[in-house]
Amino acid sequence: MYSDLLHALPNVFALTNFAAVVIGVIAGIVVGAMPGLSATMAISVLVPFTFGLEPLVALGLMAGIYNGAMYGGAIPAVLLRIPGTPAAVATTFDGYPMAQKGQGGFALQVAVVSSSIGGIASAFALMLLAPPLSKVTLLFGPSEVFWVAVFGLASIIFLLGGNPVKGLISACFGVFVSVIGSDPIYGNDRFTFGQLEMLDGINIVILLVGLYALPPVIDLLETPLKTDGVNSSNLGTEPIWKALPRMKYWKTWIRGSLIGIWIGILPGAGGSMAAFMSYNEARRTSKHPETWGEGEPEGVAAAEVANNADTASALIPALTLGIPGTAVAAVMLGGLLVHGLQPGPMLFRDNPDIVFGFMWQFLFGAILLVLLGGSLATNSFARLLNLPRPLLGSVIIVLMLIGVYSIHGRMFDVYLMLGFGAIGWVMDRLKFPLPPVVLGLILGGFAEENLRLALRIGRGDPMILFQNTTSLILVALTIAVVVGPTLKKRFIDGRKEV
Amino acid sequence: MFNIFKTTALAGALALSAGAALADYPEKPIEVIVGYSAGGGTDVMARTAAPFIEKYLGDGASLVVKNMPGASGQIGVTEAANADPDGYTLGTFNLPGMMARTIDREAGYDRDSFTYLANVVNDPNVIVTSKNSGLDTLDKLLAEAKANPGAITVGMSSLGGDDHFALIKLQNATETEFTIVPFKGSAPARTALLGGHVAMGILNISEVAEFQDQLNVLGVATNERSTFAPDLPTFKEQGLDLVNGSMRGFIAPAGLPEDVQAKLLNAFSQLASDQEFLAAMAATANPVEVVTGDDFKQLTSDLYDLAKGVWETTPWN
Amino acid sequence: MPESRTSRLKRPETLTALGIIVVAAAFLIPTYDLRAISALLPAVMLIGLIVLSVLLLLADQRKARAGEDAQPMTKSPKRVIGAFLLIVAYALATDFIGFYVSTAATIPLVAWVFGYRSPLGLLIATVIVVGTIWAIFDFGMSQDFPTGRFWGR
Repeated sequence: MYSDLLHALPNVFALTNFAAVVIGVIAGIVVGAMPGLSATMAISVLVPFTFGLEPLVALGLMAGIYNGAMYGGAIPAVLLRIPGTPAAVATTFDGYPMAQKGQGGFALQVAVVSSSIGGIASAFALMLLAPPLSKVTLLFGPSEVFWVAVFGLASIIFLLGGNPVKGLISACFGVFVSVIGSDPIYGNDRFTFGQLEMLDGINIVILLVGLYALPPVIDLLETPLKTDGVNSSNLGTEPIWKALPRMKYWKTWIRGSLIGIWIGILPGAGGSMAAFMSYNEARRTSKHPETWGEGEPEGVAAAEVANNADTASALIPALTLGIPGTAVAAVMLGGLLVHGLQPGPMLFRDNPDIVFGFMWQFLFGAILLVLLGGSLATNSFARLLNLPRPLLGSVIIVLMLIGVYSIHGRMFDVYLMLGFGAIGWVMDRLKFPLPPVVLGLILGGFAEENLRLALRIGRGDPMILFQNTTSLILVALTIAVVVGPTLKKRFIDGRKEV
Repeated sequence: MFNIFKTTALAGALALSAGAALADYPEKPIEVIVGYSAGGGTDVMARTAAPFIEKYLGDGASLVVKNMPGASGQIGVTEAANADPDGYTLGTFNLPGMMARTIDREAGYDRDSFTYLANVVNDPNVIVTSKNSGLDTLDKLLAEAKANPGAITVGMSSLGGDDHFALIKLQNATETEFTIVPFKGSAPARTALLGGHVAMGILNISEVAEFQDQLNVLGVATNERSTFAPDLPTFKEQGLDLVNGSMRGFIAPAGLPEDVQAKLLNAFSQLASDQEFLAAMAATANPVEVVTGDDFKQLTSDLYDLAKGVWETTPWN
Repeated sequence: MPESRTSRLKRPETLTALGIIVVAAAFLIPTYDLRAISALLPAVMLIGLIVLSVLLLLADQRKARAGEDAQPMTKSPKRVIGAFLLIVAYALATDFIGFYVSTAATIPLVAWVFGYRSPLGLLIATVIVVGTIWAIFDFGMSQDFPTGRFWGR
């Protein structure tokens, strides 16, 4: 296998194949950086177009876009508090406060370096450990996946914000939205009102653009003359080689990479969950958790390393089993099928040059990210924020429409997005936290589907949920994460009293 | 109401302009509406077939694939059914799904809404079991199912699809009972099977071809051995009359002008003997079985009756 | 000074809580037609929303009684409503008269209405944005945007 890996290398350096990765990374950063445009949308637009391309050119473009977009999403997340892609939601937590403090440049540099590290770790996992990791995926049947989802949902309690009632309303709203569509088992409609367009559920991008991009646009138009601290002149950028020594986040990088890779090989949950979990874990173990959410660079590092660390690893179950680990990987799987690359164990045997070449492209994509992203982001993109606010607002409106329309090519989604936008504006003004909505939408229906599959397998007996070690470990982890902080606090308080 | 008016008006206009103008068909690009995202099985079929159809239509014909994904293909097929029947809008068609959807929910079309061009892919069902289930032959499986009704869990893609109908046929033919576990699609069902979370699976031959070493393939639901995987035995060989599969083809709205229909049918029927096309389809794991025109219509009708019968005895939602 | 009874009901959080209660209750109706297992999760979420909103409402009214003034949602409601209506109008225009026409009109219109009035800047921005979108999506990726239902096919 490792000789196949080396054998595939020269072909990756063929001019067109390599150029495809470079173009892909740049395009990915741009797409990710545009509020409203997402990696899912970019790759779904690209797939039909790749029909006429050489496999490695097509796959190189996709690998580049995926890597680029996962970082690109951080740019508006930091500068405008609009996550450019769903996976960048957690980046806003500390990235935006940093930008407000005039450290936007450093935040972006942390983001690009972390993204690159996550991407490289993930690419190595894909190259060296795909077969064993795909065995790990097989351990996760419906009942285990249900517990993973519960574990993710439990972490909502750290995202509730200052007012738990509002946080829980957000979470309930997110979970409720996740059940809209056809019932996961019987296929009957739930709350679709006869609209075929809603039968497949609410696409995360539609909700995200509505909730996160529309309120800031309204802000831009509402107070056109406001000059906040965010513009390129005081991004506080210094050359990246000077910034690098200030980044001492090795623990967070390693932990975030592992979390990202692990979430990636599990089908369904995807990038945003990896970023949330990495962020929570890093904060939980931090020596000064009180600075988190106020502009802690390590928070940006935690979110960005994880959302790139699940890119290549999401392809492990996609390539070996045909089940993509993230929404973007699902679209990419289509791009593989177009080129006759059928997922399965034979894939590695039948098309080694293409499959291993594709893996190399992921690695080079991640490395290129730091070179291309470093200069692109801090120089050109931030300039966009120098645009007069009304103009910036109107351009973002157009991008939102394009991004949402292009996912399925229908206006229905645009209207849906505007509906969520109105809700999002009210939530924003009344300080309802948005992250629980996102996590609820991603994990709510996912948990339900797997619970009901598990119950069917157990023929109605709920004990099926506790019947194996993997499930029990996940239950224990969930309890530890939820109860742990309270116990720790009690313990410390108790000692003080003595 | 408006639609009826529009159709009659158009039909009238078409009748008037028939003859000289239509002899030139096609004089502009033909749109093929695919009800799934780019990269899905149906999409790959449409894009693989397109250049060959262009070749057989001649006159510099061009086919443009348009993806209208959503609701298991229903959005796209409804659009195709209600398009102007001028030969410039075709659509892809999936069986038994498209017919089952007219039974289990409101649909904006029925089996008379289409001009049936050609069914191109017939992907037969297979029964597979996981390696650790110990059920490595059909006889063992059926014996176990009879001994413990409902004890065997069956992973498959959603209810009301070809997998489901194959299981119903199996249950009726052998008087057995299984517990259905409907996953969202075949790949998750196959993964649960590989991990041993369900004992048995009903999938399609193209979906298990790559996984023959990891699963026990008990049989293929065809009359004769599939050219796609000739080493796999059929159920008929094993004394079980079970024939079922998932089909994908092309339709146009009902009421095409006759010469346009003839030209299209002629082009589609030539696919069956085009070696280059067959090779391209094999490369994308699509078992080909071309059925054109009235035979395709009959096939659809039969599947509708099957789905209707199943729905009346055991409705699935 | 404590607010009057009617103005206490017009506090944004109170209104929002009442809105959630009404909408969630309305969504509860269709759950009766579903199978029990299918209705379970949505019903629990809707009931959760109702209960939580009641809590929110009570907390807000308690604040009102304590004489705490509610923060207004916006200082310039006209601008907000105007911006939202313009965005909706843009989506409708795209749907009915076509993407490129609507976009070319919307960018300068929105920017102008909300205070950016340099004709040259508007022209350049519109040309660059529309041109780039056309070059990438239409020319490069043959991606179709709505051409307008109004014009028929």
